[in-house]
Amino acid sequence: MNRKCIAMLLAGGQGSRLYALTKNVAKPSVPFGGKYRIIDFPLSNCANSGIDVVGVLTQYRPLQLNSYIGSGQAYDLDSSDGGVFILPPYQSAGEKGSWFSGTANAIYQNIGFIENYDPENVLILSGDHIYKMDYSDMLRQHTENNADCTIAVIQVSMEEASRFGILSTGEDGFINEFEEKPKKPKSDLASMGIYIFNWKKLREYLIADEADPNSSKDFGKNIIPKMLANGERLWPYRFAGYWRDVGTIVSLWDANMDMLSPRLIDLYDPNWPIRSKSPIKPPHYAGPDSKIIHSIVTEGCEIEGRVENSVLSSSVKVGKGANVSYSILMPGAAVEDGAEVKYAIIGENTVIHAGAKVGTEPDGSEDWNVATCGPDVEIGAGAVIKAGAMVYDSVAPGEGGAEK
Amino acid sequence: MINLHGLILADRSANELRELVMCRTAASVPFAGRYRLIDFSLSSLQNAGVRDVGVIMQQDYQSLLDHIGSGKEWDMSRKRGGLRLLPPFGRQSGVGEYVSVIDALLAVRGYISDVKQDYIFLTRGSLAVNLDLADIMAAHLKSGADVTAVCMPGTPEGTHHRFVADENGRVTELLFRRSGQGRGVAAMEAYIMAKTTLLDIIDRCDSALARHFHRDGLGGLMEAGGSINVYMHEGYAVNIDTVDGYYKANMDMLEAKNRHELFPEDRPVHTKGRADVSTYYGEGSSVKNCLVADGCFIEGEVEHCVIFRGVRIEAGAVLKNCIIMQDSVIGAGAQLTNIISDKDVTVGAGVTLAGSPKLPLVVPKGSVL
Repeated sequence: MNRKCIAMLLAGGQGSRLYALTKNVAKPSVPFGGKYRIIDFPLSNCANSGIDVVGVLTQYRPLQLNSYIGSGQAYDLDSSDGGVFILPPYQSAGEKGSWFSGTANAIYQNIGFIENYDPENVLILSGDHIYKMDYSDMLRQHTENNADCTIAVIQVSMEEASRFGILSTGEDGFINEFEEKPKKPKSDLASMGIYIFNWKKLREYLIADEADPNSSKDFGKNIIPKMLANGERLWPYRFAGYWRDVGTIVSLWDANMDMLSPRLIDLYDPNWPIRSKSPIKPPHYAGPDSKIIHSIVTEGCEIEGRVENSVLSSSVKVGKGANVSYSILMPGAAVEDGAEVKYAIIGENTVIHAGAKVGTEPDGSEDWNVATCGPDVEIGAGAVIKAGAMVYDSVAPGEGGAEK
Repeated sequence: MINLHGLILADRSANELRELVMCRTAASVPFAGRYRLIDFSLSSLQNAGVRDVGVIMQQDYQSLLDHIGSGKEWDMSRKRGGLRLLPPFGRQSGVGEYVSVIDALLAVRGYISDVKQDYIFLTRGSLAVNLDLADIMAAHLKSGADVTAVCMPGTPEGTHHRFVADENGRVTELLFRRSGQGRGVAAMEAYIMAKTTLLDIIDRCDSALARHFHRDGLGGLMEAGGSINVYMHEGYAVNIDTVDGYYKANMDMLEAKNRHELFPEDRPVHTKGRADVSTYYGEGSSVKNCLVADGCFIEGEVEHCVIFRGVRIEAGAVLKNCIIMQDSVIGAGAQLTNIISDKDVTVGAGVTLAGSPKLPLVVPKGSVL
């Protein structure tokens, strides 16, 4: 069946700058904002935009992602002639098979999948941003401008611009220059890594790029510059809403804190629900001595202590006399009686035993940072984890330091 | 695959549920912040691996239909079998309305005789209990009794049936419609029996024009030489049939022991999902001893309450001993004490409402105050 547009979501990256948080899972399945995992945002955007075929390209540690996405039922994407498809690298007859060597190569390896749906256009997404976007509006501009490729762009400050792929536009509004992470940016329009391509055109470029031994098989580095050089029509789709990269510990912490301000990103909007696969848990319980201030709390939590300016995912426990502030507690994390967690990210099912202390308030020093405990570790009773620590393994009771 | 079929009676509602069943049956009364009562029966069946279930309904079942849907939340949307909704169907007598359990079962006799499994779990949709049905089934097979009656310790409020059993759990005497403490143990009115046994009970009652499941059905079975065994369920259990009982059962969920017995880790209770966000607590909120579902926005003061999904409690509102059902809005400075507020209620700023602890005030669905 011919389709106007299908989506391909690149979810194979490790997210190595999240360190311990991605030791067992791919970045898109890192928990976010209480109810979600990062991948819920692009998948919900697809569902809300009426895109009913989504290929999810996985490579690094995909097991949790596979079971989380399942049939796509949580996003209402499970349909009889479409749906969500997990696409790992695979082997063909007579080949050794190979890993995805770049973003463009990942799509190249799945040309067969895309051809099944005979789409006019293909939407390329990544699984590491938090935002709400109507891709159907982007597709409308793409079609109206008869573009070969439309790139979603957002205005950034000139100081930040050198971290992004930066675009410049000509008088006709079309893109005439693209520079990946320029030292001296010529504009403040940053690529969001969201592309709609005319499929026939993209197919040609993917095949040509694959044959080029000097290419790094990347959309930003190879495909887009080549299309520009050949004079193809590249249109910028200007996006003005909330959009955050969550690829580093600090940006992940920041974006979670944004969830406490519904003015920044409205997740209550019934017209644009962000869907997730919820664990099956009863409502949360706030005990007689609990105090919860400017925080979000999710089903299955049991709160007996104090929680301030924090984001609690499902089934988090905060014991009596425990103190949690400016922290992110991922599903199943437990902070036992009298323990203290400040400016920290606590991974899934990690236990902070009684009286332990994790993180400190900012002290103005250069090396202060958010403390991070990876998933499934135990911080022993009375142990102290310093600000900026990155904890991969359990820490013995009473231990005062932690590996960086 | 467990050789068991579920049959849930969701046909009648106790009159004493008053406003709570104005627009629904007891089985679809909202409970414990995010559930409907029938979720407990469906989840007990699901957790034991039962996938074929019939739900007998009779009137006011629109809300129940909306909640259950295809049964996919309980893995009961299957290619073969799965969940079957059994609305009233004209019998030879005509009207298709009935007043007793036997009538309800007679109306679906054809369905029961077509059941593929050899055993049937017959239960009520108004029970809040998390049963280990696999264990009850094993006990039933081991005992060799014709019927296994699930019973609970303690004395439920209101009238109930009691079964007197010997030391082996074999029932020696049936006591009908008792209230208060007495001999024997309280029946949950949940039974496992062979399909053929259930059909015999139905047919024996029908030919005798008898209509009482316990007196005529189970009593008749014992007179005919059949045996009934008691299975004691030790965890939390309550049948919701009065407003008071409903209020108390919700408040019971504020006790960790009750909550953990009704929602054990290994037997989760499934319900219809919504895409809710986490609950937000504002700067000035104060929440003590409360059960709060997702999607709420709380800026007021809340103590000893059960708050359902999507409720908004504005700054300065003070709620004590209340049950606030989904998507209600409690305006700034409102004072609510001992209130059961049904779905979609709007309480304006500064409104004061109070019930008494013995007689909580019910605000009907959709009210604007």
